[in-house]
Amino acid sequence: MSDMILFFIVQTGFVILAAPLVNGIIKKIKALTQKRTGAPLLQMYYDLFKLFKKTSVVSDVSSWIFRVTPYIVLATAVAAALIVPVTTLIKPVWNSGDVILLVYILALGRFFMMLAALDTGSTFGGMGASREAMISALIEPSIMVSLLTIGLIAKSTSVFEMMTFMQTVHNPLIHPVYLMIFFALVIIIMAETARIPVDDPSTHLELTMVHEAMLLEYSGRSLALMELGAAIKQLVFITLLVNLFLPHDQLLGISGITAIGISLLIYLGKVVATAVLIAIVEVSTVKLRLFSIPNLAALSFILSFIGFLQFFVFGG
Amino acid sequence: MTVIEINKQLIKKFPDEMIKTIKDDGNELYVEINSDKIREFSGYINQEMGYSLIAMFANDETPLIGKYAIYYVFADRVSGVLLTVKTAIEPQQMTFKSIARKVHAAARYEREIKDLFGLNPVGHPNPKRLVFHSNWPRDTFPLRKAYDLKQQPEFANEKINFTKVISEGVYEIPVGPVHAGIIEPGHFRFSVAGEPIINLEAQLYFVHKGIEKMCEGESIEKGLFVAERISGDESFTNSYSYCQAIEKIAGVKIPERAEYIRVIFAELERLTSHLGDLGGICLDVAYGFAAYQFRMMRGWVYAIADELCGMRFLRGVNRLGGVRKDFVAGKEASLIGQLKKIRSELEETETIIKSNSLFIDRVENTGILSARIAADLNAVGPPARAVGIGWDVRKSFPNSAYNQLIFAIPEHYNGDVNCRMNVKIEECYQAIDLMLAAIDSMPGGSIREAIITVKPYQFAFGITEAPRGENIHWVMTGENNTIYRYKIRTPSFCNWPVLCHAVKGNLVPDFPLINKSFNLSYAGNDL
Repeated sequence: MSDMILFFIVQTGFVILAAPLVNGIIKKIKALTQKRTGAPLLQMYYDLFKLFKKTSVVSDVSSWIFRVTPYIVLATAVAAALIVPVTTLIKPVWNSGDVILLVYILALGRFFMMLAALDTGSTFGGMGASREAMISALIEPSIMVSLLTIGLIAKSTSVFEMMTFMQTVHNPLIHPVYLMIFFALVIIIMAETARIPVDDPSTHLELTMVHEAMLLEYSGRSLALMELGAAIKQLVFITLLVNLFLPHDQLLGISGITAIGISLLIYLGKVVATAVLIAIVEVSTVKLRLFSIPNLAALSFILSFIGFLQFFVFGG
Repeated sequence: MTVIEINKQLIKKFPDEMIKTIKDDGNELYVEINSDKIREFSGYINQEMGYSLIAMFANDETPLIGKYAIYYVFADRVSGVLLTVKTAIEPQQMTFKSIARKVHAAARYEREIKDLFGLNPVGHPNPKRLVFHSNWPRDTFPLRKAYDLKQQPEFANEKINFTKVISEGVYEIPVGPVHAGIIEPGHFRFSVAGEPIINLEAQLYFVHKGIEKMCEGESIEKGLFVAERISGDESFTNSYSYCQAIEKIAGVKIPERAEYIRVIFAELERLTSHLGDLGGICLDVAYGFAAYQFRMMRGWVYAIADELCGMRFLRGVNRLGGVRKDFVAGKEASLIGQLKKIRSELEETETIIKSNSLFIDRVENTGILSARIAADLNAVGPPARAVGIGWDVRKSFPNSAYNQLIFAIPEHYNGDVNCRMNVKIEECYQAIDLMLAAIDSMPGGSIREAIITVKPYQFAFGITEAPRGENIHWVMTGENNTIYRYKIRTPSFCNWPVLCHAVKGNLVPDFPLINKSFNLSYAGNDL
């Protein structure tokens, strides 16, 4: 029972609290490369706090979908956070955290987000929804192939089992299978979290937006829920990346509450490192032409597929 | 060909229609012809002689000659000759023959005349309203002398009609007039099939202020004050054009030192504008690093402007007959140092952005403008130079110190965002070099020739090369040093329809990038 409570606290509380920090770090690094001071690291927390206090403006012509979507987006993001453990030292009480569930629970949130964008009938919502549908359809095969390849090696589709298995692999990134899938997953993260080669999170140009276009009609508390949902989703993907490919729990060699604490600290360090990596990718690339995104998605798919084939050549 | 020979040639070709030669001084020729023959006449000048229609405007001359007048301004930019054709319209007639089918560039001018004067272009292919929106009554024409500026017209609640593209899967995207960024108002109606743009119609004139009407009857000094405020980032070039026109009317030759000072400020404004555009192009493809580099450099240019004249937007520099004071004296060394710093930073940034293949992929082949459309619609400035139309007022009509300075017009041929960007980068270097050369070869002496009175009912052009292209002002003086008619044709007026052609076939998310590469002014167009 105490394990279960601990698991819930760590998975939800920790992830929700840490998620906005990742955005703060990325923004700060980008600002520094542009010779700006930039917003404080905790800016997103202040923004969310401010937005939660405000009322939302809801269009008269919108339906219930528009109003429930922020809750669905946040709920699916938190549910996804429960599937992807931040540390393998706390064993989840049940074993339903499956990669297929993970991918499609996030797809559920996205589906409602696209419906809500269409719901108000505004100009940009429809454009954003159609582009989001295109990008997610393009990137989905590569997510499935890359995650299921690891599942194939770990002989389980449970994310916890996969992560536990990866703890036993010595230095996965020098292994060809994992290296390919690592790079495939980096591209997936850039696409799924609306980062620069695919989308520009800081643009004001509605005509070029993808993710932001779908949020344009939201304000106040609903906007805060959507933003928080997106930040949690981003952290879930980063967690997936670092805990699969940069395992550390086994190295500690200890157990108990201290070990969990140290493990979480190391985990946070790796999340920060990934945020820095994302920021570097963002400043050194430009946004792709919309019809070039299929090429990027294809690259991700090919990488993951090569990883899958190499499994049969080299073994896991 | 000299102006006299052109005049002889026209008289030979149109012996009956030519009414008279009003004035020929230097490179300007004014002829008056019978308004019935304007179609043949303008067709001959445009197609046979190869002159471009660079401006066209009407003037209510009923208090003077009892008639309305329409002026067609043609230019041969190679030899630098301006040929202005005047036709008179009887007040009871209120129509004129449209030349839009022969000379495409005339289409927008004729719609403008129709809105402002109520003169109907007969045979116009698309006589839609241009200046006024659906809330302006159809029988109110503010540029007629009888119209009182203080009167409040009734609200007319008509619907705006946009060109419809009807087909399966084609839908419209309305954008603006309020945009997400801090930019001016304009409504864009895209007809798209998925992402590719089939048609774009721009509804402008949300910031129509009635500047031309406002200046009528005001003193010529007040006109300068207004000219500086036509468009925020074109203060200097607008006042420059206006001053040239008034100086020509007054017959004053401004001191050479003042001309050099004007060159420095004109190039400073060009540098600011182009650096801003380059930053905008980078920002629109989410290339934040490069965008902030250009913004930083633009900040440095603003600092130079502030140091020279105490005003970053270069207002209050020009005076009729010269400049307000000797802004450059004693600041040469600091100016040269700062310009060289900007030059080396610009070189470094250029190398970085041009070696980024992802960035080049975005700008190459995006928003291709065909040379034919550019020529037909009389595109001006960097967009024209990016399709190989190498016109530049500084070369064609060098009525300032430009004829003593050596520079080359950049030419590119593909007409895409990349070419427009390259033209702007090259012009940035050129602007710095011109400023350095001007500082180097600047003569001493006075900086202003006083203009006290001007003769009534005289008119002249002032033409300068604004950062966005050819900037033409035409002033006709009235009694007691006032303005009778002030016509402003900014480069944005010419380039807006060109932009609408350049975006066709491109993707919707590429529109902001193409738009930024043109960088057109709303205030400068709406007047």
